[in-house]
Amino acid sequence: MKYFTYILRNARRNPVRTGLTIASTSICLFLMMILLSFFAMSAEVASASRIFNRIVTMNANGFAGMLPVARVRQIAAMDGVVAATPFQWYGGKYHDEVMPFAQFGVDADVVFDIIDEFTVPPDQLADFKANRKGAVIGRKLAKDRNLKVGDSLPLKGDIYPVDLDLVVSGIYDGPNNRDLRMCLFHFEYLDEALKQTAMAGSGGSLTTEAARRSGNAGSIFVKCRSAEMMTDLCRRIDDEYRSTEFPTRTQTEEAFGQMFEEMMGDLKNTVYWIGAAVVVSLLFVAGNAMAMSMRERTSEVAVLKAIGFNKGLVLFLVLTEAVLVAGLGGAIGALGCKFLCDFVDVARFSGGFLPFFYVPWNTALLGLGVSLFVGFASGLVPAVLAANSSVIDGLRKVV
Amino acid sequence: MIPFKYNIRNLRARWKTTLMTVAGTALLVCSSCVLFGLVDGLEHSLTVSGDPLDLIILRKGASNEVTGGFESKKADELLELNGIQRDEDGPVAAKELLNIAMAERLDGTHNNLIIRGVQPASRKLRPDFQIVAGRDLEPGKGECVVSRNLSRFYKGARVGGILDLGEKEKYRVVGVFTAGGSAAESEVWADLKDVERNTGRDGSVSCVQIRAAGLADMDQLQKTIEDSAQFKLSAIPEATYFENQSKSSLFLKGAGTLIAVLLTFGAMFAAANTMFSAVKSRTREIGTMRALGFSQRDVLISFLGESLLLSLLGGALGLLATLPLSFLTIETSNFNTFSSVTINFRFGPMVMAVALIMTVVMGLFGGMLPALRAVRLEVVSALREL
Amino acid sequence: MEGSPSIELRGVDKEYRRAEFVVPVLSDLDLTVAEGEFLALMGPSGSGKSTLLNLVAGLDTATRGEVLVHGRNLGNLSEAEITRWRADNVGFIFQTYNLIPVLTAFENVELPLLLTKLSRKKRRENVKTALRIVGLEGRENHTPRQLSGGQEQRVAIARAIATDPYLLVADEPTGDLDRATAGEILDLLELLNREFQKTIVMVTHDPLAARRAHRVLYLDKGRLVDDVTDETSISAAS
Repeated sequence: MKYFTYILRNARRNPVRTGLTIASTSICLFLMMILLSFFAMSAEVASASRIFNRIVTMNANGFAGMLPVARVRQIAAMDGVVAATPFQWYGGKYHDEVMPFAQFGVDADVVFDIIDEFTVPPDQLADFKANRKGAVIGRKLAKDRNLKVGDSLPLKGDIYPVDLDLVVSGIYDGPNNRDLRMCLFHFEYLDEALKQTAMAGSGGSLTTEAARRSGNAGSIFVKCRSAEMMTDLCRRIDDEYRSTEFPTRTQTEEAFGQMFEEMMGDLKNTVYWIGAAVVVSLLFVAGNAMAMSMRERTSEVAVLKAIGFNKGLVLFLVLTEAVLVAGLGGAIGALGCKFLCDFVDVARFSGGFLPFFYVPWNTALLGLGVSLFVGFASGLVPAVLAANSSVIDGLRKVV
Repeated sequence: MIPFKYNIRNLRARWKTTLMTVAGTALLVCSSCVLFGLVDGLEHSLTVSGDPLDLIILRKGASNEVTGGFESKKADELLELNGIQRDEDGPVAAKELLNIAMAERLDGTHNNLIIRGVQPASRKLRPDFQIVAGRDLEPGKGECVVSRNLSRFYKGARVGGILDLGEKEKYRVVGVFTAGGSAAESEVWADLKDVERNTGRDGSVSCVQIRAAGLADMDQLQKTIEDSAQFKLSAIPEATYFENQSKSSLFLKGAGTLIAVLLTFGAMFAAANTMFSAVKSRTREIGTMRALGFSQRDVLISFLGESLLLSLLGGALGLLATLPLSFLTIETSNFNTFSSVTINFRFGPMVMAVALIMTVVMGLFGGMLPALRAVRLEVVSALREL
Repeated sequence: MEGSPSIELRGVDKEYRRAEFVVPVLSDLDLTVAEGEFLALMGPSGSGKSTLLNLVAGLDTATRGEVLVHGRNLGNLSEAEITRWRADNVGFIFQTYNLIPVLTAFENVELPLLLTKLSRKKRRENVKTALRIVGLEGRENHTPRQLSGGQEQRVAIARAIATDPYLLVADEPTGDLDRATAGEILDLLELLNREFQKTIVMVTHDPLAARRAHRVLYLDKGRLVDDVTDETSISAAS
């Protein structure tokens, strides 16, 4: 549009200033993306998992409670269930690492029918099913620790008083925004080992005495035939075990994910407040840059008004310039962060804490929107001042 | 040397710009300080938790008392060992049983709480354990005491309330305690026997806490326990144990550092922007000063000084803005045990160091290029400016 | 240059208010400017000549009295209307050229045309014509920094005539130029007046510049004190 040249040229008038403003904006937006994505991506993953029609059963009193493994079969037999597997958190130590990667004891025969967003080469899957000490690990985990099919994967017991000597049978793959850092092994392998130690009698721990003995499924992942069946099944399962010694709590996979987010508590608010502070800071920084710029242009604005540019047009020109500069910074920061996380596996640097990290599209777009808003808000006062400036004063010769 | 009041006057003359830059950078400094204040709070609570004479006994190979339990019979034997400090009530040592249960917060959301079944001596094993409201619990009555931090977040966690943790686990809250800012301040304490009964775990304990009579005794005890073939336990000095726990907060520290670095860059650019503009508008003055005889070095130092002063204002304001947050307590989850942990914001040396470092970096690095530009101006062309 | 009176000032006062002080700048001014006239305003500093120029150009409004251009009372127009009026009717030439430094000569001249509804192609034609009249074709893509003072002023004049306004208002157009260049600029102004019938009102300190005009008005302390009509110039024009 015809004023575009003028607006663009003005932004290039002082390249250092424009550059620094863009840099400030993009760094702040980059930071915002990191802060917000942490929560946004778990929300997105949780809702994306809806299509898999999975529900999760755990002990009603929390992770520590026991879930008898016999229930896996009982649940699998229920109407509307495609398959069910235990998902028993082992939490072992791999060499000297501080943070363990996720290790689960599962039913090797059905687990990949349930978590079917992941794929395993058929020969590796067959090998896994056949080999009791076999394990299937995620592609990213294999890459992190340089593991190939056939390598041994020894895990030392931390929560449980038994060690596991696993062998990598296969490597599973899947979309980048899912957990590709898990290690899945045979539930029976751990269970057998526990039975033997339980008989030797080496004492209790946090989890109930019974839990630490064998037979604890930990949690049960269930694939339902359809979405409509999910709520019904949750209720039926909980009803079934409500008055037993180990009552259950069954919820959709999405709700299960949200449960973790709920546990975060104040941390989420703290992060959001910091994000807000960063945006406000940007308002000051960008506003200052725009104000400094306009202060140097008073006679120029006066000339424009003399020629016949009316108030509204002047306001528009200044505002558009502010929005463009901020928007560019926002695009670089927000989109830059998104593409960086898409192409580089940044989760690798989190020391095992995050299985994956990416910036969801609506977070990136939110960031862009915020930067446009910052441009608008920071440019408003200088724009209004310029629009209302006195032509005569502006034209007055500098003595 | 160009007198410093020249810089001060200039900052005052361009007060609108100065103010906006200070406000912008202060917010960034404040954000960093908040993050590090929380990290420091977390680390501090772990540090004070470790008494130099205390040992924690866990099952061999376990890294955390939440999952590191063993038989109660063994625990009883431990309490009789030589070398344990004794006072009028007996050995300063206690068996403890931990449970993690789901509790409801005041805002309706849920989180897991640590319920620690304790014996009387447990109190002596925490730094400065005090009942600040109500009274201490009496054994066998289904009573509990909650930390003051928890009482602010959880339903029923006040004197006279009921802590509802499930069908079989309800405790009556009779008191509120503090414990010198240690990790115990994220916990609910109940009688050991009550917890055993409620969780069906009679016969096992999570850990045993022991205070040695002296340093030599502590070494001796450690050796005895670890070397014993029948025990199969590890005796970890409390300080080491909590240091290991803090390793998991490394992620928070790393994330906090990354954020602070980004914020510093942002602040640097903001300060640089202002200083570049300052140099540009004063080219004639600079030329004049040079013509008068001030050296290039004088001009450089002058502008660097102005940049530092500007940053100092921002840093000081940001630091001060964090002061009222000293009373901030946030409640979130410990990612190791997936249970509640409350963090008291700590306005200490870490926060001040962060503010100082950010100030110096943005003042020095933000102001370096503009100052260099000021210096490179040719005298004549500067005077001819405009 | 006989023509219908196109600009009329009747009983014009202009005052500025500073707190309780009232500073009179123009007092009881009556003035008529004919169509196609070349008028020079002279006077000592503070005499109000620039203020008078501002009134004629629609940049300022009189405190009392009427300013009529083509019968239209500028005082009755709203802010938006008078801005529109300026865009359509007035071209400005300043002592310090006041070109936009980030735009090329072409873009500077195009600026007032952006306010019209002309197509891109038509705008381009007008710019080229204007630049040709001022003798600067070939320098379209130069920025002000790459032009000499005289060339900058020519660009400014091209900008002033780009929309073909009826009135040109010049405030010390030769103030920053050396004698030779000043002469060229004044030649240009005369050309515009003579060949294109532009009405020109020019404020100047320079008697040589004033001599180019048809009529010279002297102002002192806000009042017209002399009105010299240069007979020689008039007969040369007709």
